[in-house]
Amino acid sequence: MNFNYVIYPFIFIGLYFEVFVLLVFLSAPARDRRARATSTRTPKVAMIVPAWNEAPTIKANIESLLELDYPEDKLSVVVVNDGSTDGTKEILDENFTNHPRVTVVHQVNGGKHSALNAGIDMATDAELVGCLDADSFVERNALREIISCFDNPKVAAATVAMSVFEPKKPLEIMQNVEYVLGIALRHILSSVNGIYVTPGPFSLYRRDIVLKVGGFRFGHQTEDMEMALRLQKEGYWIENAPRARVYTKVPTTVRGLIKQRTRWTSGFLRNVAFDYRGLVANPRFGVLGMVVLPLGFLAIVGGILLFVVTIVIAIQNLVHSYFIHSGIPLSYILSQKLSFDIFYVPVSVLLLLGIVTSIGMVMFIYMGKKVSNTPGRLLPGIIAYALIFRFIAPFWLIRSLKDVTLGKKRPWR
Amino acid sequence: MSLNARNALWALLITVLITGTVIYAVNYLDEQRVAQLDDLQTRLATDTLSVETQFALLESAPCADVSEGNTLSQEVSSLGDKLSVTETRLGTDDAQVLELKKQYTLLQIRDYLLTKRLSTACHIDPTVALYFYSNTAGSCADCDRAAYALSYLHETNPKLRVYAFDYNLDLGALKTLIAVEKVDPKFPAFVINGKRTYGFTTLDDFKLQFPKDFFATTTATSTAATTTKKK
Repeated sequence: MNFNYVIYPFIFIGLYFEVFVLLVFLSAPARDRRARATSTRTPKVAMIVPAWNEAPTIKANIESLLELDYPEDKLSVVVVNDGSTDGTKEILDENFTNHPRVTVVHQVNGGKHSALNAGIDMATDAELVGCLDADSFVERNALREIISCFDNPKVAAATVAMSVFEPKKPLEIMQNVEYVLGIALRHILSSVNGIYVTPGPFSLYRRDIVLKVGGFRFGHQTEDMEMALRLQKEGYWIENAPRARVYTKVPTTVRGLIKQRTRWTSGFLRNVAFDYRGLVANPRFGVLGMVVLPLGFLAIVGGILLFVVTIVIAIQNLVHSYFIHSGIPLSYILSQKLSFDIFYVPVSVLLLLGIVTSIGMVMFIYMGKKVSNTPGRLLPGIIAYALIFRFIAPFWLIRSLKDVTLGKKRPWR
Repeated sequence: MSLNARNALWALLITVLITGTVIYAVNYLDEQRVAQLDDLQTRLATDTLSVETQFALLESAPCADVSEGNTLSQEVSSLGDKLSVTETRLGTDDAQVLELKKQYTLLQIRDYLLTKRLSTACHIDPTVALYFYSNTAGSCADCDRAAYALSYLHETNPKLRVYAFDYNLDLGALKTLIAVEKVDPKFPAFVINGKRTYGFTTLDDFKLQFPKDFFATTTATSTAATTTKKK
């Protein structure tokens, strides 16, 4: 069987998406966003920190919020301890009970969405409410950068540039590259209102709109995605501030990564395929409905298909190679591979299109680095990302699809 | 038209252009490969004719005068490898590939006949293996292995001359060779120093088809051979 016919449509669609995103990047709306100045407005902001067993990071997390470059009387922090059992409560009580700008709420574990709602209820005088996962830390200028997104009254929420906190391990370095790619895509898609998730590590919302649409919901363990899709459905805009940076901790083991991504991907599938399927392929929702969500599905299906095809071809080649080379000395077999003649270079449509799309992806990664002023070298991470990460991704894609198909629910951690 | 719609249409147009350019570039490269093979084939045909003519002119001359045949055979071998790769890329039914393959087969047959004449006239005793394969789906499960084993044996035993033929190729000269050698359509088929055998099991078993002392006495100074691998 010629597997090329299975792969070609996905390569073509992937290339189309890259070209489309590049054109959007070059368009005036995206250019305007890159040129947007830091706002001088200082509306009242309450940062909500939902915390469930976050003892190792909760103190530094809150301190990073208190150090934000923002008028002290305009910024408050509401920490909602969502029934932690690991000492988070004690750390909060010891350090922040009588803090003038920090409100600590202890509640019975009700999930992240209920903790967020509890925090929003407490922040009665805030115009904007921010959510910051307890394993994340913000840069000092992040709030001022993001405030300017709300100059447009139609904007209900804004996202930031997420980076991996001190990436050292190989898996962290690879995720860092992925996050930088995410910075580029979020920046570009925000200019056409194509964002479908307002990530937990530091997103800002208009409090009145959040309350108007009914507050946070469970959202299949992806309350940030559910909220973003609901805001989109209600016709609001979701913006992005690429120079507002938040650092987040990421899984350091393959097992942890697969678990996290299974939650994200199955959340996407459940939210988009069931709760918000009306948005998909609906021209009323513009780029989000016609490009981002449909291609999100195709990326999952394509990722699984390409992986399966790659595995099947690899096994076929291995078996064939073993069959052919059986009995022939290894020294001879290896010497055959070393000879080089341009005539034998296997240039194919698939290979060239693969190279073009890979170049496109690398280009977007560097765009993300540029628009967000992300420091550090990315090349080793890009190489590792290309060679290793894409072979891990299919595992959570397959697992997510299986979970959604069988209706299986998994715990958060 | 909105900016988004315009971007979407431009993106489609550019994507189609990129894909079209890539397809064109790959086809162009394939054409160049075929052209390269064609050039090589034409040159070899001239060389073969030259050697044959030289041989005819110098019927009684010292055999050293026709030693060009050695390098010629090496080039025929290289052509065979390249043709095999081109056949894999463009398909066994590609008209250009079939035409090149016919010419290549003719070259091989002529080289084979020349080898026979040289061995008689010059008292050279090359070991010659004719290998017949089939590209018909399912008709030859062991042809790939046989082809690789022959390549290995040829490269490690330069005295061995290998000629590979697509049994089903529609070429009169090949049909005549098949009839002369009495080769049945059972694949892979071999005629080694005039002895017919069929099938391929292991390399060690296959070696038994060769003269007893062949692998013990082979030197690196002898003539080259040709091999075309079956797809």
